[in-house]
Amino acid sequence: MSKGQTKRKYTIFPFGPQHPVLPEPIQLRFTVDEERIVDVGVNIGYVHRGIERACELNDYRRNVYICERICGICNFIHALCYCMVVEKLLGLEVPERANYLRVIWSELNRLESHLLWLGLFADAMGFESLFMQFWRDRELVMDLQERTGGNRVIISTCVIGGVRRDIGRDLANLVEQGMLKLKRHMDALAPVILKDPGIKKRTVGKGILTYEDAVRLGAVGPTARGSGVAKDIRSTGYAAYGALGFEPVVEKDGDCYARLLVRFYEVYQAIDLILKALKEMPEGKIRVKPDRWPEGEATARAEQPRGELFYYAKANGSNRLERLKVRTPTLANIPSLLAMLPGYEVADIPVIVLSIDPCIACTERITYLKKDGGK
Amino acid sequence: MVRMFPNIFRNLFSKPATVKHPFVPRKPYPEHRGRIVFDMERCDLCQDCERLCPPAAIKVDPEKKTIAYDPFKCIYCHICVENCFQQAIKAEPDYTPPVYQKEIKYFKPD
Amino acid sequence: MAKSRFKSPWILHFNCGSCNGCDIEILACLTPRFDVERFGMLHMGNPKHADILLVTGPANRRNARVLRNLYEQTPDPKVVVAVGTCACTGGMFHNCPNVLGGVDKVIPVDVYVPGCAARPEAIIDGVVLALKKLAEKKVEPVKAVGGR
Repeated sequence: MSKGQTKRKYTIFPFGPQHPVLPEPIQLRFTVDEERIVDVGVNIGYVHRGIERACELNDYRRNVYICERICGICNFIHALCYCMVVEKLLGLEVPERANYLRVIWSELNRLESHLLWLGLFADAMGFESLFMQFWRDRELVMDLQERTGGNRVIISTCVIGGVRRDIGRDLANLVEQGMLKLKRHMDALAPVILKDPGIKKRTVGKGILTYEDAVRLGAVGPTARGSGVAKDIRSTGYAAYGALGFEPVVEKDGDCYARLLVRFYEVYQAIDLILKALKEMPEGKIRVKPDRWPEGEATARAEQPRGELFYYAKANGSNRLERLKVRTPTLANIPSLLAMLPGYEVADIPVIVLSIDPCIACTERITYLKKDGGK
Repeated sequence: MVRMFPNIFRNLFSKPATVKHPFVPRKPYPEHRGRIVFDMERCDLCQDCERLCPPAAIKVDPEKKTIAYDPFKCIYCHICVENCFQQAIKAEPDYTPPVYQKEIKYFKPD
Repeated sequence: MAKSRFKSPWILHFNCGSCNGCDIEILACLTPRFDVERFGMLHMGNPKHADILLVTGPANRRNARVLRNLYEQTPDPKVVVAVGTCACTGGMFHNCPNVLGGVDKVIPVDVYVPGCAARPEAIIDGVVLALKKLAEKKVEPVKAVGGR
């Protein structure tokens, strides 16, 4: 900063923790020069629950239900990743049919999350009717989750060694019809996303994250893929993704519109993956029971709607885990968000903050306990 | 302009997306994980459900032969329903209604 | 004016540490499928405008202060609805180290909505119960309470 700038008066205003734009409590402190954002600070820890510590206190089979409630939106993928890490510790082979069922449920989760985000993003842009359209179509997915899994939001079907419920022929037909109907609805909405000048005015060129920045700051998920980084954990082929064949969606521009397009095309990709998985699903068992207690160290990765999810577990041969560490995508994306914001106007804040799809419930775990205690 | 007409007609005559919830109750899906009811004639007080319950919402007292079940602590995962050997735990497809006062339900043999 | 309060209750939603499941179900209540705006309910961002406080999630140590603040800012008469199992008792997070366990440890709660995550139908039922409670509560003589 030069001398002339230090004499200028900047305004600092807090944004949150209770704010209509943010459904969740996070506090962002903006330093603004009239309308331009100069600097951003972030303050999190409002919904810290101490989940990782609780996972060390409970039986390892019960932890599935806690890990599922780290985040309600991408609950199945959290449970899947936890099960994957414990299955590695146990040396358990999951039946092939269970792998396909896991893919179907995680893609249903992704559909739900992306439709939710597309709606919220439209709302942040002030496009109320598009918000309603997306949320009406989301109810199709919610119904399918309820019919196949048993609950609208938290499905609770993933257990260690497989899945709890099977998708029979009737339900499979239902899912297929639902997916085709959703595809028709999305085709009707595609011209709005691709051509509407209002959307382009609010998003094109806003919140630019360059390829170099995305790599340097470790962005993950659609945030990185919007900047041209072809990084998707599904291409490593966990569960049945290897057998289904998978290509990540990549956009080059790195602005809010590119991230919007990535998520919109991923909706189509998820529909195709579900249809393909339903067609190729083999017959057989869906669950094997664990026969011993976990021992050793292992890691597992999975792709959430928001990016890469990472689990680390350490066990010592008792029925409890010694340590569990979870790294969620929003935490990895916060540095990119802070790099995106400076230089834009205050009115752009909601659009840019939402464009990384922040999920605060995911973010807040044991890492921040020390930081909070220090204050 | 002309392309809008089919859409307008479809919206005018199609069914509304809204369910009339409090006035017309919706039929619950049979697959939904809902309310839990204990059948005390079948229960042999083995305490399996108490050990398995993730939020510890079930307390079995073998001496008094009662089960204390807290519907406000239950997360409706139905792990107890699937694991009960006597099939004494029944699942209803509808949800627990909201109330003014929390209370623990006690199940006793008649 | 007292009558219009029951015809069109304004809602403030506060997340004090839930998993997002109940929050998106509250949002789903506002959208075409379970349109609560039929009852004149409006989702507000400002506690001084609100009649009904919807709280999700188990209160944790840091959040309790914010929650108490919001409760005190809401003008009388007010009703608090605890949405979801974890807002009622703590539920799955009952043995987490940073969780107090239930919103009723921090502020008085009038209606409990169980379910994990609570269904939109259950949330609507809970708000209808809350309206009955709101009608029972006496309106205090106007002493510049929230300007209404």
